[in-house]
Amino acid sequence: MKTIIMKVFSLLFFSLLVYICVNGQPRRQSYSLGERVQQLTDMAGKRAVLRFNGNKFRDYVKASPRNYSVIIMFTAMAPQRQCQVCRHASDEFTIVANSYRYSQSYSNKLFFGVVDFDEGSDVFQLLRLNTAPVFMHFPPKGKPKAADTMDIQRVGFAAETLAKWIAERTDIQIRVFRPPNYSGTFALVVLFGIVAAFLYLRRNNLEFLYNKTMWGMGALFFCLAMTSGQMWNHIRGPPFLHKSNTGQIAYIHGSSQGQFVFETYIVMFLNFAVVFGMILLTDAARNKGDHKKRKIMAIVGLILLSIFFSLLLSVFRTKTHGYPYSFLFK
Amino acid sequence: MFYTNMVLITIYRFNYRATAYMVKNGFYQFLNWFDERAWYPLGRIVGGTVYPGLMLTSGSIHYILHLLHINVHIRDICVFLAPVFSGLTAISTYLLTKELWSAGAGLFAACFIAIVPGYISRSVAGSYDNEGIAIFALQFTYYLWIKSVKTGSIFWAVAAALSYFYMVSAWGGYVFIINLIPLHVFVLLLMGRYSNKLFVSYTTFYILGLILSMQIPFVGFQPIRTSEHMAAGGVFALMFAVCFLKHLQSVTSKSEFKSLVIFGTLIAAGVVFLAVVLFTYAGYIAPWSGRFYSLWDTGYAKIHIPIIASVSEHQPTTWFSFFFDLHILVSTFPAGLWYCIKNINDERVFVVLYALSAVYFAGVMVRLMLTLTPVVCILSGIAFSNLIEFYLREDENGRVEESEEEEHTTPSKRLYDKAGRVPKMKHEQQKESSESSNAIGANLRSIVSVVVLLLLMLFAVHCTWVTSNAYSSPSVVLASYGADGSRQILDDFREGYYWLSQNTDDSARVMSWWDYGYQIAGMANRTTLVDNNTWNNSHIALVGKAMSSNETAAHEIMTMLDVDYVLVIFGGVIGYSGDDINKFLWMVRIAEGEHPKDIKESDYFTEQGEFRVDAEGSPTLLNCLMYKLSYYRFGELKLDYRSPAGFDRTRNAVIGNKDFHLTYLEEAYTTEHWLVRIYRVKKKDEFNRPRIPVASRVIKSPNFVSKKSTKRKKGTIKNKPVVVKGKRV
Repeated sequence: MKTIIMKVFSLLFFSLLVYICVNGQPRRQSYSLGERVQQLTDMAGKRAVLRFNGNKFRDYVKASPRNYSVIIMFTAMAPQRQCQVCRHASDEFTIVANSYRYSQSYSNKLFFGVVDFDEGSDVFQLLRLNTAPVFMHFPPKGKPKAADTMDIQRVGFAAETLAKWIAERTDIQIRVFRPPNYSGTFALVVLFGIVAAFLYLRRNNLEFLYNKTMWGMGALFFCLAMTSGQMWNHIRGPPFLHKSNTGQIAYIHGSSQGQFVFETYIVMFLNFAVVFGMILLTDAARNKGDHKKRKIMAIVGLILLSIFFSLLLSVFRTKTHGYPYSFLFK
Repeated sequence: MFYTNMVLITIYRFNYRATAYMVKNGFYQFLNWFDERAWYPLGRIVGGTVYPGLMLTSGSIHYILHLLHINVHIRDICVFLAPVFSGLTAISTYLLTKELWSAGAGLFAACFIAIVPGYISRSVAGSYDNEGIAIFALQFTYYLWIKSVKTGSIFWAVAAALSYFYMVSAWGGYVFIINLIPLHVFVLLLMGRYSNKLFVSYTTFYILGLILSMQIPFVGFQPIRTSEHMAAGGVFALMFAVCFLKHLQSVTSKSEFKSLVIFGTLIAAGVVFLAVVLFTYAGYIAPWSGRFYSLWDTGYAKIHIPIIASVSEHQPTTWFSFFFDLHILVSTFPAGLWYCIKNINDERVFVVLYALSAVYFAGVMVRLMLTLTPVVCILSGIAFSNLIEFYLREDENGRVEESEEEEHTTPSKRLYDKAGRVPKMKHEQQKESSESSNAIGANLRSIVSVVVLLLLMLFAVHCTWVTSNAYSSPSVVLASYGADGSRQILDDFREGYYWLSQNTDDSARVMSWWDYGYQIAGMANRTTLVDNNTWNNSHIALVGKAMSSNETAAHEIMTMLDVDYVLVIFGGVIGYSGDDINKFLWMVRIAEGEHPKDIKESDYFTEQGEFRVDAEGSPTLLNCLMYKLSYYRFGELKLDYRSPAGFDRTRNAVIGNKDFHLTYLEEAYTTEHWLVRIYRVKKKDEFNRPRIPVASRVIKSPNFVSKKSTKRKKGTIKNKPVVVKGKRV
């Protein structure tokens, strides 16, 4: 008796299960909020960036009510699309998503997703997007506003700016943790290895290490690079040249506060010429040797020194308003 | 003298105040001094957070002069300390260059450093700052170090350590010395130039320097606890390892131990390095502090420490600044470097390393141009003296005398050489000697020397021009030039501070951005919230938050901090670019770093990402406290007949928010050119509460339910006249 009842129950249970399973497919639209959050959380547990196609996008992102934010990257990663930028953007986006996934503030209030053009072109049409990549924030309530699309033209899409933008939109602070970049360290190790191997191979003939000219050239180059403001270029990243609308090219920045990359090369060359002239002049007087050669050396050195220094001075004059002095040239 | 001493010293008023306090109350009182007038409500422990070298120097000069009954006010000593010390710097530069090259080069170097703009900015009268005396200490320490390396005597090493102690007491830049000297020693070891002299001088210097530097309260245990100082300790350990191995080598046969010495040194270096890394990892040694770390990782400060990045002195250096500060020296010092490398010896290794590290640091930070300047002077001195030595030599008579002298001093050789030859006539001798000594004709030589002298003269006039234009007027007094070249003095800062000191209560607290903290404390003698000693970032961020919030939120912060007055600097009337609106984004950034929920930098930009103050500016900007305080009543002001009302000359725009009133503050004082604007924060009972729109007014709910029962509902009339029944008599 007991077993029969059990059997009936189990049969009933089984049929119920089948019924649910069969009817599950068409009933997807009506997932409750709790279910959706649960599913999203499960998916996010597996991978930090969720892949959405058209249907899933409507199910999870467009459905209401929601109590979670979704950050979506619209992109076109397929090789035939040839979107180089998308690849960089995707890397940065994954970094942010992973930082969030493994951070203290991880919760089911925020999810990261990606919609690829080749999987969900209908979504692109729906949102009237015709470029990629685009970062959009879908807030818990209401539709995305203008500010919910990140302005990558202006701020770029570095992971830090992404995190900052997300913090602005959702009040969730994400501390970006970049996976340590070993390529720099690796390159350094390789370089050291090559140098060490080179030294080992030439261990019988290490004279070149005592070559003062080589060391001197290295030191000179370093000094010239620094005094011509290469460090400023490295930190600020100025344009190489300035092209005005009329097509005129400005090589030299007008104000004393800025500089162009090309300008610093000019200054570096001028400085080098002055130094070279100075060295030629001194060597001409010091060396013992052919009189004629020394005379020519001295003349060339003098010309280099005076001409290029006055050029340098006139470049300086164009950048300073009201500087009264010049030498040879105005 | 155009400016009085009081004006000259104003920017450095904190240092002056501390010195005056020390002279008045004695050194020990000074060490325990708690300054409650700064960083209200926190206060600041001054004794433990300053480098006392500057105050001690001027204090002891004052003491000695008073012992001799020369009554000089301490203020005069403070004003003239920097010029005196720049003289001493020139002397020590001469000594250092003389040790490195020759006396002639030393003279050149001393002349250069005396007038070079990069250093004169710190050595004008009234520049009463740590750097002024620190550069002297730096140069002098280097001189004594070179001397001790050359002689290997303990005496010079001890002297170097004492000079290093003075440097530690004067400036935080002592870290440069304690890294450069070990680097010098390390490179000498690498080059195989180890000697017992080096061993003696370095070990003496390091141990004494370590112990002495720990005597400064502000430095304390840092020399053994922080990464900045670890290189020195590592080299010290390495020195002993190398010494031990060399000793082993000397007692046994040499050939066997050659490889042992090399490998032993490498292993010792590795062990020392690993130990330091391990200790850092385990937390015994603090990692690099942000300020030093940002020198290596140049992008670090921009992201993580906005307060460091906000200071204009911490920006990288353009080639323009290099040329502006050093002129011809910047393009000739590599020549000196070239000759130093070509004729290398122990002490020239030092100057090469000094030049390379200093030029790197100067490239990263404008402020460190100061450490580059002395070495550039030294190397340029070497280059020019090398050049001039040959071209300016008096050839005819001088050469003859020299050759005659040579003949006298080495007669045997000459005689042996000339044996059998007919002695030449005097004119023939002259010709030959001048020709052999100099192939370059006299004309060319004189042309060269004239050109070089012209260049040097150009350098001198450049220095004069820069000094008179950029560095001589104290920044508290602005000068503007009219169309006809006449100079107008804008004395608004002093006017504003004087008003504060005369018209406000003695205990009034003034809120302003930190740039003006020392000026307010010094000139107006009022309590400030934040000042130029930026030790507490969160307090600065709080002030930044108040400045960048709207008036209501700002008022809450201001009442929390007991602020009585707010001071802003506004340059829109005269076109002064260093005003608070131009610094405003840094306030926002610093506030955002501490309060990311309330302040967002992007709110202050327009949609296109521009920072604009005109009508298209972002509404958050147009309603924040700083904007309102700067532009209050500015919309009514018409500067001249061409421009419309409310035209900001600094930003060349008509302001966007013209007609507004202040609720929680009232204008207290505005100076002649509107440069300094002071507002009073109203007390709680003073301001009218802002009008609440009808919709959001809360009215007491009408459905009031009485707790009285029906029986007790019958009321009684209070104070109802009661008829007292009396008895009829």
